Amino acid sequence: MLELIDITKKYKQTKAVKNMNMYIEKGEIVGLLGPNGAGKSTAISILSSLLEPTSGDVKFRNKSMIKNPKSLRQIIGIVPQEIALYEDLSAEENMKFFGRIYRLKGEKLKNKISEVLEQIGLADRRKDVVKTFSGGMKRRLNIGVAMLHDPEILIMDEPTVGIDPQSRNYILQTVKRLNKERQMTVLYTSHYMEEVEYLCDRIYIMDKGNLIASGTKDEIKQILASENTIYLKADYWNESFITKLQEKPQIHQMKVEGNEIVLVVSKDVAIFSKLAHLAEETSVQLRAVDVKQVTLEDVFLHLTGRALRD
Amino acid sequence: MRGILLAKFTTFIRNPWVFLLFTVMSIGFTLIIGYTGGNGEKITVPVAGAEEVRTGSIGKALEGNEVYHFKWQEEADMKEIVRLGEAEAGIIMEEAGYEMFIRVETPNVQLIEQTIADIYTEKIRESQVLELFQGETAAEEKAFLTAYHEAMDQPLFEITNDNFRNADSYQFDQGLHAIFGFTLFFVIYTIGYNVLPILTEKKEGIWDRMILSPLKKWEIYLANLVYSFFEGYLQIIIIFSVFHYFVGVDFYGELAGILLIMLAYTFTIVSLGIFVTALVKNIQQFNAVLPIISVSMAMIGGAFWPLEVVQSDILLALSKINPLTYGMEALNNLVLYNLPFEEILMPVSILILMGVIFMGVGIHLMEKRHI
Repeated sequence: MLELIDITKKYKQTKAVKNMNMYIEKGEIVGLLGPNGAGKSTAISILSSLLEPTSGDVKFRNKSMIKNPKSLRQIIGIVPQEIALYEDLSAEENMKFFGRIYRLKGEKLKNKISEVLEQIGLADRRKDVVKTFSGGMKRRLNIGVAMLHDPEILIMDEPTVGIDPQSRNYILQTVKRLNKERQMTVLYTSHYMEEVEYLCDRIYIMDKGNLIASGTKDEIKQILASENTIYLKADYWNESFITKLQEKPQIHQMKVEGNEIVLVVSKDVAIFSKLAHLAEETSVQLRAVDVKQVTLEDVFLHLTGRALRD
Repeated sequence: MRGILLAKFTTFIRNPWVFLLFTVMSIGFTLIIGYTGGNGEKITVPVAGAEEVRTGSIGKALEGNEVYHFKWQEEADMKEIVRLGEAEAGIIMEEAGYEMFIRVETPNVQLIEQTIADIYTEKIRESQVLELFQGETAAEEKAFLTAYHEAMDQPLFEITNDNFRNADSYQFDQGLHAIFGFTLFFVIYTIGYNVLPILTEKKEGIWDRMILSPLKKWEIYLANLVYSFFEGYLQIIIIFSVFHYFVGVDFYGELAGILLIMLAYTFTIVSLGIFVTALVKNIQQFNAVLPIISVSMAMIGGAFWPLEVVQSDILLALSKINPLTYGMEALNNLVLYNLPFEEILMPVSILILMGVIFMGVGIHLMEKRHI
């Protein structure tokens, strides 16, 4: 339905996106996962025809959209990372404004506004000025205005940044419901792997402008099928313990986060006794050793050597 | 486009404070600088003289002077006032002549002396005319003098020597200058802060939404420009109307002409706003740059003081690329100098040309930089 073909975007000397290939099929929720600065926003700006790539092509229903994106623009709704609303207008006035620019008017516009406000749970606050809304409510309205013209594809750029867990859940459920009930295709970018994991059928992982993995959740996790993720906990770590861990060839990846160390190790290696021995040798008091199911975060760590939120 | 304008106007009605602040500041500063504090008052000059001089033709001539207020004092008091520096000069007036006491030699003292000399010249002329008349009674002489004064007021022809356009002299009206200067200065802020939302809307993604919609890009720009123009022009109309209808400034009957000239100036400042918005990277930079530009423009363009007092060639050269200079020039040419249409059209044309250039380059930069 919509594809990026060998897309590169260069800003002076920096390549924000490098030879990226990606496709979205109708009715899918596709996740674009990556840390801040990975190139996700640039990629979706190109995909939604807001930005011209330095090279490569964007195809919608097998037609290039680089020079004439009109047909693509008609069927996409965009939810920017920022709150793209007029703060001095009410929820309803914002909706009227964005509806009007899509040439909606009269009863049709009125009905559509009521329907969308109902969907995003703001029907009872429709007359309130946006600047009086909480962060979560603004985010919901930010999504709502993108849905007024019934887009086939909803492109969401980190729509849950900076909001409370309840609002985040509400948004995730709304996206899921839209996809299920209206077969809306969704491209969802985030650096929260749990969101992408919960929502998306297929996932693309980006880092430093490169697409480093893609596939379904299970396919991506298969990258680590032969490995285990082990979480070590202690009151404190000392230099010698960490240095010696780094020297062990069985440990493929390692990350220290406060009093926790995350290790990615081969499944067939008996590592526990070695860890216990090393802790004793370096006078580190281990509090817990835990082997967990592979997550996308682990895959990202494995592929880049960094955590998603670094 | 109507949708954008509607949203902008609704936002303006909900949040008019910046607009009101700059409008009030403009009116306030003009009232303070232009219409209070002695600038409109006459300069007081102490004079001393005998009772017959005070009540005679010399006394009446001094009383009728439009520039100076000649205040009668005792001779000793007059000398003390001059000695203390409370007046630049004092004069002892006699029927046959005068004696000036000068504290410091200034151009003003020369003008005072010229004024006094003119009075005595006129007195001598009257005496000569009376001698020629050879009237027999005082009543006859009085009637003759009245006829003489009437004839002088309605001469057969008048020789006028207007030289305000040469380098040494110019016409200046403190009140009008303050209205023009502060209006042209403060409207830069009003328009600037109305163009600024283009930057914030682009950053926040409102523009992205509009670009993806069926709206044409030119509609988006035009709606923003029309709105900024409207608010800037509304402020100008309000300020001039307040001074015309409430303060009583008649603008020499040229209010309509002023408002027509202001159309061109407002357009140029909107374009300048677009140009500045295209150059800066963020709101903080805009907030830092706008006061620098507006104050520099006002200083170099003659908003705070007449450009005729500026001596520096560099500043005068800079004033030639300053829209405010041409705004002031067009207004002064119309109202103060009452020059013909071509003299007003010239600065107005330059303003429009500047506006077109600023707008073209500004929009080009905005599009190129994707801000």
